[in-house]
Amino acid sequence: MTRSGWEVETGDDPPVEDGKRALAYRADDGALALYNDYERFRSIVRTPKAPGAGGVRPAPVPGAHALAEAAEVAGYGTFTFPYGPISAGVPEAGKFEVRTYGERVLGLVPVGGFKSRSVPASVVGLPVADAGLRVERIAGNLSASHVSAFLAAVESAEGRPVPTAELYVRALAQELQRLYNHVRQIARVAEAAAQNVGLAQMHALGEEILRLQGSVFGHRWMFGALLPGGPTRRVEPADRDRIEHALGRIEAEFGALWSLLLESRTFVDRLQSTAPLSKESAISSGAVGPTLRASGVGWDDRLRAPTPPYTDLFVSLPNETAGDALARILVRGAEIQASLVILEQLFDRWPAEESITEAPESPLGPGRGIARVEAPNGDLVYDVTVADGRIRRLQFRSPSTANWPAFALSMQDAVFTDFHFAFESFGLVFAETDG
Amino acid sequence: MTMFGWLGRSATRGILTTRYPDAPPSPAEAPVSAHAPEPPPGVAIAASAVNACPVRAIAPDGVDQCRCIRCARCLAQGFEFSGPVALATAARADRPDGPSATRGAGAPLARLGRSLHVFLVDVGSCNACNLEVLSIAHPQYDASRLGIFFTNSPRHADVLLVVGVPTEAMVEPLRRAYEAIPAPKAVVATGACAIRGGVFEGNAGLRSGVDEIVPVDLYVPGCPPPPVAVLDALLRLIGRERTEAPT
Repeated sequence: MTRSGWEVETGDDPPVEDGKRALAYRADDGALALYNDYERFRSIVRTPKAPGAGGVRPAPVPGAHALAEAAEVAGYGTFTFPYGPISAGVPEAGKFEVRTYGERVLGLVPVGGFKSRSVPASVVGLPVADAGLRVERIAGNLSASHVSAFLAAVESAEGRPVPTAELYVRALAQELQRLYNHVRQIARVAEAAAQNVGLAQMHALGEEILRLQGSVFGHRWMFGALLPGGPTRRVEPADRDRIEHALGRIEAEFGALWSLLLESRTFVDRLQSTAPLSKESAISSGAVGPTLRASGVGWDDRLRAPTPPYTDLFVSLPNETAGDALARILVRGAEIQASLVILEQLFDRWPAEESITEAPESPLGPGRGIARVEAPNGDLVYDVTVADGRIRRLQFRSPSTANWPAFALSMQDAVFTDFHFAFESFGLVFAETDG
Repeated sequence: MTMFGWLGRSATRGILTTRYPDAPPSPAEAPVSAHAPEPPPGVAIAASAVNACPVRAIAPDGVDQCRCIRCARCLAQGFEFSGPVALATAARADRPDGPSATRGAGAPLARLGRSLHVFLVDVGSCNACNLEVLSIAHPQYDASRLGIFFTNSPRHADVLLVVGVPTEAMVEPLRRAYEAIPAPKAVVATGACAIRGGVFEGNAGLRSGVDEIVPVDLYVPGCPPPPVAVLDALLRLIGRERTEAPT
């Protein structure tokens, strides 16, 4: 393994065979099944090794090494254009090595590791609540999904029963954050297409969702709100009325903006057939989330591998087949409307007050738990080993990590100016890739 | 027809923009987590509160705003987010005579007059600070009405706004971005991570704070700081921050 910083965790688990993605989707008897073969691939996620004194060295993101060949295309005038780690278009620290002879992108390798804060290594030995403070700061805009998956893995490891009301609060937080992330992603694409009024109004809507989160959970990014010992784990009836009222406004506002955006020919034309990803490439590269659903594969953890409360809810599955940037944005737009329907059902079925009981405080048995959650940008997996209420090992596979190869594939044969449309339509986050 | 649709939307929304800094921030603009945690009035800080804090921001003699990550655990010990909205500060409480102590007095960019161009650099954040900083350009805060703009090149910038805890890999890029900015220039370390590592303080391969690498003029506490705190920091650089009217 030459990709420093991304070696397979050794220890009691056999390494994943190179070239095989331990957690992927495969066509099975014509139907798509989740490749969940934990017995053969006990190490389902690759985590960066704990860095030495020099820190993590930036390296191509996992899976991107398969694309390195394309990025080494030689010929008259070809060269590698380094873009990052500080760049104007991507508001994050990350780098792309673009193989090109000018305008056309021959190959692209995303390079991560610039933002590695070594969260998985640093939480070892910490109590669950303290580890949670670090887990929710892996990616601030996806904190609800990360914390929910982390806590579900811990609870599964300890065999701890969870009050239904708590699961409802987590689902509420996740769906609100999905609204925010999809709205922001649409705004970013509108920005790339110079739809300045639509951009401003979408961002205004995003800020309203942040303020709603702040008023319900006491923190605009819901940090600390879902953790044991946190301040706001109960959503009172008055709060729920307020949220429902606010969501009604958001629904009307988004509907109006969305139809105006889709009426704009310049916006739609620019996205159509940009950065296409075929169904076969999406499956073979291990894409997840809206990226996968935009390429014609109907997979959503909330529907296909649901955990309470999603087991009791109607979850619609927005699906597109074109696989281009427009399809990914259309899926996101439809998911905003689907999330609003889910939120409505959550409030209709909200468990009665008396069923709220605190989980037992004493740590239960040691064990290992795996949990998966449909984050706004796709399937998120946590694999946690706990003993005596403290973290022994933590691994996670983030949706961004899964989607980098798909992004790199879709950029082959694109032109430079497609970059931002492609990047923003995938919803990739370096922070959760680096951990 | 689309154009008239947009005009119609804009007209029906009315004005969303805050009156800050002419008026104090409204409760919606300064949520609970924007305020400073304070012990109950007239009560000494208990050992239980000191122990409850996961980032050692609470000491028996006071609360270090630069360290606080707004996790709200001290609320169970009687604390409240009742203090003033935590705004930018020129000194780190734990390092009053540190490398940045001689800078930060007054408004370092006052001579630039009415306009600032800001270059945002992420050196290892969780993305929340990035998004809070960028949201000062959104309609509710609209920094451009104050003459504050984001720029895409350090060569055009007056202010280097740094978010995140510096990783070893970002030390050299950050230094080069700083050097590429023409003088006079200022550096704002935004968020608990940029100030001294926040919740990640002490992790392997991380520097404890941006001021180990470049001189910092202002620190903006918070995890992440709310947009009004970022606006306050930038206005402070040109001497136009909100000051309470004398009573």
